[in-house]
Amino acid sequence: MKILLLEDDDEMRAHVERLLRAAGHVVDHCATGRDAIFLATSSDYAVLILDRIVPDLDGLGALKAIRAAGVQTPALFLTALHSIGDRVEGLEAGGDDYLVKPFAGSELLARVAALGRRPPITETITRIKVGDLEIDLLKRTAARGGKIIDLQQQEYKLLEYLMRHAGEIVTRTMLLENVWSFHFDPGTNLIESHISRLRAKIDRGFERELIQTVRGAGYRVRDDG
Amino acid sequence: MMGKWRSSAAYRIAFAYAAAFAAGTALLGIIVYWSMHVAFTHQLDAMITDEAQTLVSEYKSDGGDGELADAIAQREGSRTPERLLYAVFAPDGRRVMGSLRTDRPALGIHDLSFIDPVEGIDSARGQAIDLSPQRRLLVAADREWIERSDQTVITVFAFGFLGVCALGVAGALALGAYLRRRLRALSDGAGAIMGGDIRRRMPVGPLHDEFDQLAVALNRMLERIEGLLDNLRQVTAGVAHELRTPLSRLRNHLERGASDIGPTDPAAPIIEDSLRRVDDILALFAAILRIAEIESGETRRLFERVDLSLLATELAETYAPVARDGGRNLLWSVEPGVTVLGDRELLAQACINLLENAQSHTPSGTLIRLTLIASGGYACLQVTDNGPGIAKADRGRAIQRFIRLDQGRTTNGHGLGLSLVSVVAGQHGGQLLLRDSGPGLAATIQLPLFPIVPQISPEPSNGD
Repeated sequence: MKILLLEDDDEMRAHVERLLRAAGHVVDHCATGRDAIFLATSSDYAVLILDRIVPDLDGLGALKAIRAAGVQTPALFLTALHSIGDRVEGLEAGGDDYLVKPFAGSELLARVAALGRRPPITETITRIKVGDLEIDLLKRTAARGGKIIDLQQQEYKLLEYLMRHAGEIVTRTMLLENVWSFHFDPGTNLIESHISRLRAKIDRGFERELIQTVRGAGYRVRDDG
Repeated sequence: MMGKWRSSAAYRIAFAYAAAFAAGTALLGIIVYWSMHVAFTHQLDAMITDEAQTLVSEYKSDGGDGELADAIAQREGSRTPERLLYAVFAPDGRRVMGSLRTDRPALGIHDLSFIDPVEGIDSARGQAIDLSPQRRLLVAADREWIERSDQTVITVFAFGFLGVCALGVAGALALGAYLRRRLRALSDGAGAIMGGDIRRRMPVGPLHDEFDQLAVALNRMLERIEGLLDNLRQVTAGVAHELRTPLSRLRNHLERGASDIGPTDPAAPIIEDSLRRVDDILALFAAILRIAEIESGETRRLFERVDLSLLATELAETYAPVARDGGRNLLWSVEPGVTVLGDRELLAQACINLLENAQSHTPSGTLIRLTLIASGGYACLQVTDNGPGIAKADRGRAIQRFIRLDQGRTTNGHGLGLSLVSVVAGQHGGQLLLRDSGPGLAATIQLPLFPIVPQISPEPSNGD
């Protein structure tokens, strides 16, 4: 994927660039808000990664200008501004995701991948099928191998999110933010408990495990084969 | 009522002042009474002495009983109210002249009693002088004069005293009420500030009197305290914030090191452990900054209506598997339709912290209950367990920052869990209460309700 990185701190920029390149991405970088607007509106990127505190025009203003120019490229704020209000501001300015520094490399890569592969908004999809597991988005039901699986509301929401990102790594934080709307660390093995419960319902009695644990990163629903 | 007055310095001072004023009035009355009494007596004495001297000189110059008898008869015949009384006695005690019916007196000025033809026995003040060895003259004045003036003085001062007392009581009541009102304004202000409304100030009136000056002084003191608190908060948050940048760099280095050497290198576990430790420190700083952010009141502008019933149910469903995996049981009962004004995530975090607390400080097999009820204008979100609880003496400390009560054990967390709950509750206008649930701990987040205003819709009335 071709990614634009707005970051004025050299060390941080080098770190992020190295991470992204190691994951096979192509990275353009700039250090000011004006350069970011110019690059984002004149070239085609899959994802924008924007720091908020940069010289001349800050990341927030830059994204507003980019959005005003009609560019809808998914944007991720990568910033040290961590308060609840900062996050709300970032999302209101047109950001699609918000990651606070410091961050784990795997977290950034998972989020960039999720943003970059975000399909065009088509609400006509009513079913998602991965292997022999299928969920009905309207009825909010799941079935594997034609057998209906009885899921509780939160189990269904968790499964739906994993299925929508089939093949991608989904981190604990992404699950907390998107399934539970928690933007804080609940400090428990909340995700682990729910995943193991979901696994017991989805994978028990089947030869192939659909929900995989990616060590040190998160989970993935395999969509191979 | 009496208790209220006795326990009030304002009323005590006001009444003491009124009583002192009344006593002063009474003393003044007594002094006036006595000095007037003495002055009148002197005046009376001078009058009868004068009259006696006149008669003596008349007796001496014209010589003889005849002249004297005429003079006395003439004086007695006058109908003026100031007329004096006269008598002349022979040595054997017989009254030979004058109509004053009394016994032969000793020489000099003294009080005596006589028989008044109208009023009966009466008292008078008389001067007895010997005209000759055969004749003793007595000139007297009825004491009624003095008595009448004494009476007037007593009456005037009695009414005056009653008036002063009445005014004093009324004034004391008014003054006491006024003082209490002014002082209550200050103590109410202090109470509200202690209740957590640190931005509140003492009311300052327009008079610029002592109370207003006190209020101004207190406000200045509060300003200073708030400044110091802000300073402390800023320093704490500043330290946490400033340390994040170098820690971020450290984390980046460690992460790069881990990816460079690969997971099979013997140093990999050490780097991984170091990363975990850095993350722990960063989590601690995040918690400090989060508390500082909530305390600053910044989050309040994002407050909106939160369906606490819905949230509590969601959280219970979210946490139940965690509790079960940890060998505890979570039961919940949630009253529907309880709404508050607040931040959904902060409330969620507070509730999760309570659940987490109940989970991590109790033995396996503990029953944890989450209940939500609305009562008395408050939403009470309560997490109880039947574990060992917290000793009464330690409950206040439990909310303090960086306090871990079970210091012997190496538990996770930074001792900020309950502080955050307390700060969240405070910013929502509520409080965190820790009670004994016999056995175990009952932690309650008490928040003011923000009820849904019922829509005024045309209802079918009985008349239709």
